[in-house]
Amino acid sequence: MARSVHPALIAFTACVFLFLLAPLVIIIGSAFSDTSYLTFPPQGLTLHWFWNIFEIEAFRTTAITSLELALLGTALSLLIGIPAAYAISRYRVELPSWLSTLFVLPILVPEIVFGFSLMKSVTIGLGLPIFPSLLIGHALLVLPYSVRVVSASLASFDFSIEEAAISLGCPPLKTFLTVVLPNIRAGVIAAFILAFITSINDVSVSVFLTGPGISTLPIQILAHMEQFFDPTIASVSVLLMLVTVAVMAVVEATLGLTFLTK
Amino acid sequence: MKHLAKWGLTAPAMTAVVLFLLVPVIITIAATFGEHKGMFSPYVAFFTSGFRRTVLYRTIEVALMTTAISLVVGFIAAYVIAQMPGRTKSLMIIAAVFPLLTGVVVRSFAWLIILGKNGILNTMLLSVGVISEPFSMLYTEGSVIVAMVYLFVPLMILTLVGVLEGIPQDLIQAATSLGATPAATFRQVILPLATPGLIIGAVLVFTGSFTSYATPQLLGGEKQMMMGTFLYQRAMVTFDWVGASTIAAIMVVVTIGIVAIMSRIARRLNPMAV
Amino acid sequence: MTVSLTIQSISAHYGKTPVLQDLSLSVAAGELVSLLGSSGCGKTTTLRLVAGFLQPTSGAIRLGDRDLTTLPAHARDIGLVFQNYALFPHLTVLENVAFGLKQRRIAAQERRQKAAAMLERVGLSGLGDRLPAALSGGQKQRVALARALVIEPPLLMFDEPLSNLDAKLRIDMRVEIRQLQRVNGTTSLYVTHDQEEAFSISDRVAIMNAGRIMQLDTPEVLYRKPANAFVARFVGFENLLSLRTIARDGALVTAEGAGGAKITLSQDDFGLIPDDFILGCRADGLSVQQEGNGLPAVLGTRTYLGRAYQYQCTTPAGDIVANGALSEPMAAGSAAVLVPAPEQCCILTPEL
Repeated sequence: MARSVHPALIAFTACVFLFLLAPLVIIIGSAFSDTSYLTFPPQGLTLHWFWNIFEIEAFRTTAITSLELALLGTALSLLIGIPAAYAISRYRVELPSWLSTLFVLPILVPEIVFGFSLMKSVTIGLGLPIFPSLLIGHALLVLPYSVRVVSASLASFDFSIEEAAISLGCPPLKTFLTVVLPNIRAGVIAAFILAFITSINDVSVSVFLTGPGISTLPIQILAHMEQFFDPTIASVSVLLMLVTVAVMAVVEATLGLTFLTK
Repeated sequence: MKHLAKWGLTAPAMTAVVLFLLVPVIITIAATFGEHKGMFSPYVAFFTSGFRRTVLYRTIEVALMTTAISLVVGFIAAYVIAQMPGRTKSLMIIAAVFPLLTGVVVRSFAWLIILGKNGILNTMLLSVGVISEPFSMLYTEGSVIVAMVYLFVPLMILTLVGVLEGIPQDLIQAATSLGATPAATFRQVILPLATPGLIIGAVLVFTGSFTSYATPQLLGGEKQMMMGTFLYQRAMVTFDWVGASTIAAIMVVVTIGIVAIMSRIARRLNPMAV
Repeated sequence: MTVSLTIQSISAHYGKTPVLQDLSLSVAAGELVSLLGSSGCGKTTTLRLVAGFLQPTSGAIRLGDRDLTTLPAHARDIGLVFQNYALFPHLTVLENVAFGLKQRRIAAQERRQKAAAMLERVGLSGLGDRLPAALSGGQKQRVALARALVIEPPLLMFDEPLSNLDAKLRIDMRVEIRQLQRVNGTTSLYVTHDQEEAFSISDRVAIMNAGRIMQLDTPEVLYRKPANAFVARFVGFENLLSLRTIARDGALVTAEGAGGAKITLSQDDFGLIPDDFILGCRADGLSVQQEGNGLPAVLGTRTYLGRAYQYQCTTPAGDIVANGALSEPMAAGSAAVLVPAPEQCCILTPEL
């Protein structure tokens, strides 16, 4: 029961979607090209460039590093973010309003400034090794998702069931783990996914914090591009896209994709 | 006890943000004021340098163009999506949001393939006969803008669909019943009510494009230096850390300033705010 | 200019599910007809169809001699009053009222005058420069009313306009709406789930259920002589007894119900009584007496209604609710006779 829309607008929107999705199709196509340079449409089809990814050590190690950072960083941010989200939602009236702004700072402050400052103060200033510095950077980068998305989930949470549990004798921590957490499961999963994807794809923060021996996949792709402009880059991109699709499949299975539209 | 609880719960996150974000950034900005040549000397040096001014103006220009184009394109697409029945609407939103999830490198790199000398656009124009030999479309302000628009349109669409859905259906019906054509309803009811949300969307895109690094790096390179790439160059190539901090400070001021001012304006203009 | 509204054999579907089936209805010029029913009965769907927000799968809608069925919603010239008022939050009260006039290209000066005059008629003069957010519920509803009236539409439609107001305001407003409608003489279609509201202001009421009109009549007829069991229960007949005639003697009809309960009724009092019928009785229409011509019953729980006692009675034909006089309270467990009073009863033919 679509409401009446001028056909010109619909045509324009179709073009917009073409604009949005065509480049991705182009990348996928050129990943299979049997040429040593990037071209579309692909000339000849081969999986060579996909195998190439695993042969290049730099891609192997940075892919693993990116995964580690994404998992650990997201876990860390959830660890400190969920209690903060809970406190903000539960004690909204009693806590100062600048608190929510504080947790959103990583979004307000330009990522590149954050990365630079972190490198200056922590990596060099404190002499912290590269991986911990990266971890801190990623964890803070995705903290706003942990706090905001979980807060949104808690906004529709009926706190009186928590009170019911406590009145029935359940201690506070156990109540949180067994009563609150399961009921905001959707929010936590959504936060995890958004945080994970943000971390995996990050460039602006990582570019300052990476160093000899430790780098992230996106940065490695950028480096590779400077030397070899070959379809390997396209195939790595396809792999990253597959990761995204896998993640969205998980979302669809657990929450239904319409959850993301909120 | 409860007092302890609520602060205790927020303490780890608070500490992390203050210790590893707030303090380092403040230190960075503070570093620009310690120069023996005078308190504001780095800023004077910045604004008296033709090259540096150009970088700043170029960044503002690119950000403005990106925002303007994304606004128009995104609003039209969001409007059409909002009129669609449930299932179609969800599918369209997912299709629009999917690029958002593929990461900045993938999305910027696609335009290298399209706009390159051997790229698709050149190939197409050659085969149609519009041009006789391939020309370089990369490393121009235009290529950066195209890639940025590609980056931010999904965000704009997502934001604006939310805004349009926030307009109660019965207002549209009331306007229609009073004789307003779809165009009149759009002009007199939808647009005014969507304006605060449009401002927020524009701010998001502007600050995002203003502070962008990967996209200008890939598609602009040295010839089209923008604030983000400039900062990196100053910090990691020339090791001019005071210069880099100056750039960082300017970026922070512009970003936070715009967010603060425009949020206030948006809130003032919002007739549906309780 | 008053015209009649004719809805002819309208059907509507949401996807595959039928929402209205072959519905027909006529509202005479100047008449106020209410669509009454609980949620899901199709009353709002009917209104949306006439307004043009929904397309029928078959049938036609005519206003006077104009065929509305194919006309787009913004060209139908109908005044709509919404449940949530639907006032434009970004426009002042005056601009809200003048909105319809603006769409009709009326000059700004004239718009303002007409809008101001209408605001005065609904008792809101002086509030023209306020924003809707600054108004109370009742004031908002008046603005909504003014906005619909000022365009002088041939048809007015109300979609549960008073359900968001508190009880006292609801009663005051419905009287005002009726008066305004009467003075203007505008043909009106009124949707509500509140029976008292519909009955108090309407010329006729259509009681709806599951996409069909169960009965369309004046409130008096609906109240006293419902046409079927659904309407009878809707208008408050607490008891419906299935009976079969076993003997006739002139005007007297003896009928038997379940469990062998017998009752004798006179056609002079109750009207024509068919062989198989349902006797509908209000609790007020069954007086609890110690003896008399009626249904034998055993009294159960007694509740105090203020104006009478109400007894839950058991009879061979089933459980009955009957009211008894305050002057003669009877104890639970005692035997009694329930005597039906014709004005509070009705005879229905059982549906197949």
